[in-house]
Amino acid sequence: MAQANQQPDSGDSRGLDLSKSSTRELLAGVSFSIPYLIIAGLFLFGPLLLALYMSLHDWNALDPGQSEFIGLDNYQILLSDPDFWSALWNTVYFVVLTVPLIVVGSLLLALGVNRDVKGKWFLRTVFFSPYVLTVAVVGLLWADIFSSSGLVPYYVGGGNWLTSHDLAMPAIAIATIWWQLAFNFIILLAARQNVSDRLYEAAKLDGASTWRMMRDITIPQMQNPLIFVVIVTFVGSFQVFGQPFIMTDGGPSFSTTTIVLYLYETAFTGRDFGYAAAVGYVLFMILIAVSATSYYFLGGDRK
Amino acid sequence: MSTKSTSLRDDLTITDERLRTIAVYVGLYGMAALFLLPYLYMFATSFMTRELVYSDVPHLIPWDVTLYWYEYLLTNSLIDMWTVNTLILAGVTTLVVLVIDAMIAYSLTRLDWPGRRVIFAVIVASFMVPGIVNLVPVYIIVSELGLVNSVWGVVLPSAANPLGVFMLVQFFKDIPEELEEAARLDGFSRLRIFTHIILPLMRSALAALGLFIFIWTWNAFVWPLLILQSETMYTLPIGLVTLQDNMGVTEPGVIMTSAVIASVPLLIVFLVMQKHLVKAVEMQGTTK
Repeated sequence: MAQANQQPDSGDSRGLDLSKSSTRELLAGVSFSIPYLIIAGLFLFGPLLLALYMSLHDWNALDPGQSEFIGLDNYQILLSDPDFWSALWNTVYFVVLTVPLIVVGSLLLALGVNRDVKGKWFLRTVFFSPYVLTVAVVGLLWADIFSSSGLVPYYVGGGNWLTSHDLAMPAIAIATIWWQLAFNFIILLAARQNVSDRLYEAAKLDGASTWRMMRDITIPQMQNPLIFVVIVTFVGSFQVFGQPFIMTDGGPSFSTTTIVLYLYETAFTGRDFGYAAAVGYVLFMILIAVSATSYYFLGGDRK
Repeated sequence: MSTKSTSLRDDLTITDERLRTIAVYVGLYGMAALFLLPYLYMFATSFMTRELVYSDVPHLIPWDVTLYWYEYLLTNSLIDMWTVNTLILAGVTTLVVLVIDAMIAYSLTRLDWPGRRVIFAVIVASFMVPGIVNLVPVYIIVSELGLVNSVWGVVLPSAANPLGVFMLVQFFKDIPEELEEAARLDGFSRLRIFTHIILPLMRSALAALGLFIFIWTWNAFVWPLLILQSETMYTLPIGLVTLQDNMGVTEPGVIMTSAVIASVPLLIVFLVMQKHLVKAVEMQGTTK
């Protein structure tokens, strides 16, 4: 480092010895960043551009060089593609079934476990545990529970849920809620523990009801984590793939084919890469719009 | 609970309190029981005899305990191989992610060079990119590189993890300058500062991130499904799903037993290291 350079290289004369030390600093900075940047360039940023490029072409999977530029045709076809629209509505239906229940459920459980109850550690462990399961286990386990000889049809009824037009998506939603509640539960539990007890003590002295304390203290104080949880759950549910892929394979009669499942099949069964890339970009736009809307709607810009 | 209330009202509020407490307990423990049911079903089924599995009434208690399904799986499937594959893949990915994420986080927070803010902003922005948008192009890039059906074809695309960079940047920011200043005056190189001062200090943050990445890779589904094409290369999640397809008929005994084998290692890790995992999740919630 501070070898016999022309100027003494002391830590606090930053402005003076720009030449040597800043060049070295730049070199070090770049070399420490380069491994990440190369991999990110190759597998994150590069593909994003490639996806855009592909979506504007009639992509030839066998010989990419022969792909024909078709401008926005893929997007036009997509907008009049009934399968795309039903996949989109199926996804929206899934989002409606899962997001409110996951958010409200994880909030209630977090508030409950935060109270002075016995067996806190046990409860936290139980609600958090599905987080470490793979979607393969979740899908297979619940597919079995909902199948004709499974627990739910026997005790609740409804026959085999997974082959029923009306019950297949709710079955997938129930499995998803059980699996995805964990992450939000932990986030909200931490957020609730960060709310100062003083606020509640003051409110108690004023004789505020539990309901009022929740409305005027708990929720406003936890606003940012709540927004985070809503957006993460939204974005996650919009990209659901594994559960319908494993449990129903998109059936019966397309009723559980979600956007990502449709994208996957378009690309790897239909080999229509350009079209699949367009589906991906449309999904991307939808997700940005959804995130921005919920951020704005939930007042994320005011603290 | 206002102090001005009459004794009668006091009695009432106490019963109110008591009722509320009972409601909270019933709600929480009722939910906990519901949450545990699928686990019970999974474990119980894996130890049941065929008669119990196929009886008309679904059972939750294995009255007749057998290890038949475990023996069956170990002799008739590659599940032991898949377990080893998953372990290797998760281990390698975790190592690669920790190294390159720690390096860039150090560079962005502890070194002063032009352009680092822009790079950090771009990394944060890349959070917004849903992985699925890149599914098709990354697949094409990986196959162009000849990495389909190889470990690196699965590791590299998930190696540049912006979440990890972001989490570590939050931690590296808080290291006191003085430590580095002293080391620099002693003529330590930046590499040596990184390996001898920064990394040891950041042990717990790196452990939390490492645990998170390990679990995440162990459970990864979409990408390995695309890339790993020969049965000997499969990870557990992929193997499990193909087991069902290969048997034609649904064998709950086999499926539940394979699910137990795939999840028990992680459930044990979870029970032992729950604190670290909670920390890793909290890191994400508070940083965004």
